[in-house]
Amino acid sequence: MLANILSISLGAILINNFIFSQFLGCCPFLGCSNKVDTAAGMGLAVVFVMGLASAICWVIDNYILIPLNLAFLETLAFILVIAALVQFVEMFLKKSVPSLYSALGIYLPLITTNCAVLGVVLLNVQNNYNFIESVVYGITGGLGFMLAIVLFASVRERTQFSDYPECFEGFPICLVSAALVAMAFMGFSGMKIF
Amino acid sequence: MNRKQQFKEGLITNNPVLVQQIGMCATMAITTTLFNGIGMGLSVLIILTCCNVVVAALRKIIPDEIRLAIFVVVIAGFVTIVDLLLQAFIPALSAALGVFIPLIVVNCIIIGRAEAFCQKNTVKDSFFDGIFQGLGYTCVLIIMCVFREFVGSGRFGGGLIDVANGFRFTLDGTGGGIQIFPEEFGAAIMNLPFGGFLTLGLLIGLMQYALKRSEKKKKAAEHAAKEAALKEVEE
Amino acid sequence: MNNKIVKLSMVLFVICAITAGILGIVNALTWERIDQITHQKEYEAYAAVLGSESGYTQVEFDKAAFPTVDSVNQSNDGNGYVVTSTFSGAQGNITMACGVGTDLKCTGISIIEHSETSGLGAVAASTSSAGEAFRAQFVGQDEGIALSKAGGSIDALAGATITSNAVTNATATSIKCIASLG
Repeated sequence: MLANILSISLGAILINNFIFSQFLGCCPFLGCSNKVDTAAGMGLAVVFVMGLASAICWVIDNYILIPLNLAFLETLAFILVIAALVQFVEMFLKKSVPSLYSALGIYLPLITTNCAVLGVVLLNVQNNYNFIESVVYGITGGLGFMLAIVLFASVRERTQFSDYPECFEGFPICLVSAALVAMAFMGFSGMKIF
Repeated sequence: MNRKQQFKEGLITNNPVLVQQIGMCATMAITTTLFNGIGMGLSVLIILTCCNVVVAALRKIIPDEIRLAIFVVVIAGFVTIVDLLLQAFIPALSAALGVFIPLIVVNCIIIGRAEAFCQKNTVKDSFFDGIFQGLGYTCVLIIMCVFREFVGSGRFGGGLIDVANGFRFTLDGTGGGIQIFPEEFGAAIMNLPFGGFLTLGLLIGLMQYALKRSEKKKKAAEHAAKEAALKEVEE
Repeated sequence: MNNKIVKLSMVLFVICAITAGILGIVNALTWERIDQITHQKEYEAYAAVLGSESGYTQVEFDKAAFPTVDSVNQSNDGNGYVVTSTFSGAQGNITMACGVGTDLKCTGISIIEHSETSGLGAVAASTSSAGEAFRAQFVGQDEGIALSKAGGSIDALAGATITSNAVTNATATSIKCIASLG
């Protein structure tokens, strides 16, 4: 059981990294990675939302939707749960950590449309994970996302001083740099320690 | 609203992926064969148009505070309908696109258009907006697929075209495509995430270059016209 | 204030209910077909690996010793078994059916489900000539099966060593599982 959990974690963080391997969560990854501190804050918020969303959606799926033969309502139910969850996280952050709240700004409500959050919940269903495996996958998937976004923020801070063609300003140079980092992450594929 | 203007905007000047730079997750992930690209593009076009129409039709009734939640519910509804229909009638596409079909729910393009356009425009305008933006999205997907497949495996039309027994289209994804050069000489890395990021980066860079150039030309033309007008006044 | 929240919740609830209702109708129209398609893949896989006219019966096996094996089905003809297993490939899990004859040699393999990369690992499951050639290598192999890079006789797919290795190991496991049945 422990070996299973460790292999899911390793997979989610390095081998099948949510951004560099599965492409889930690219929009905030490209939009929010200007500075390392904002990136870290965003990453932590996403870890929290992904873990909690995995837990709640697993319960809803296995105790309400499947027993009542309503599996086709999964997409609808999951996205509503995620939207509500992000709303609560927003209210919570506003009251307890207002500095982080103002730093994240518009990107906090955008976690709702983050492919990674809905993606991890759907993948939990597809892979038939039990409760603990789902939560582990959610949290470690979020950690993989955070690793990717923080790494990339440092890369971006450097590219600001590079000499690239004018027409590559903005997203294009980001995407090309991301391609190179993705190639580096390919080195982890097929790894099997556990 | 000028249809020609809308068409030009959807395809070029306000292209959802290349200019607005939203909805990129799916673009990079599934553009490995032409079958996937066209399938995904058409699915998004249908869902986008249907959602645009419904949101525009309901725009006077939707309370402002919960409008995003309602958009999400409507989009999730249409996505599930398309998902079920694809699973039942084109299972190959459903298997190839995998988790990215339900992920169309959080595709920023659809929510973005609902928020920015359909709330303030008529049903007819929203309908055409959906079609043109969807076409712009599909065109980007097709260009990416063709490029990645060609450089990665020397193939054109994987999954869609079958030349083994005479030319035909295979709507169940089994076509092998036209092999332009042998697969061993292709850069297989283009089929992996690296290829996705790189291709999209190059495309957006190209689009920005094209738009800047056309803007420069316009400014130069305006400048020249002004100078000519000034000269006339002087004389 | 409270009234407003109630009114907003009601509107949201009504729209959700209408959406759920429409989805229910679409689901009712399509679920039979979807169900049929999901099972058809399994039966086609069984037929491909072990041609048996009289059906299969499920057989017990040691799950703890073979965790990747999902089910073992004995052919009612008596000409062997079909072992379905799920194991991890390069991009996710692969579900495969492996036919094992009474002589403990593989009679064929068929990939039921996978999420491997198109053009690379996915060739193992495709109907193209490369895919057919790859799978044909497994017929007649025994439990010592290995990739040619490791001294065996299976040529891996171009650019898909991980997938080829996973499928080869799974075939070996399937044969060992049948051997353990005694």
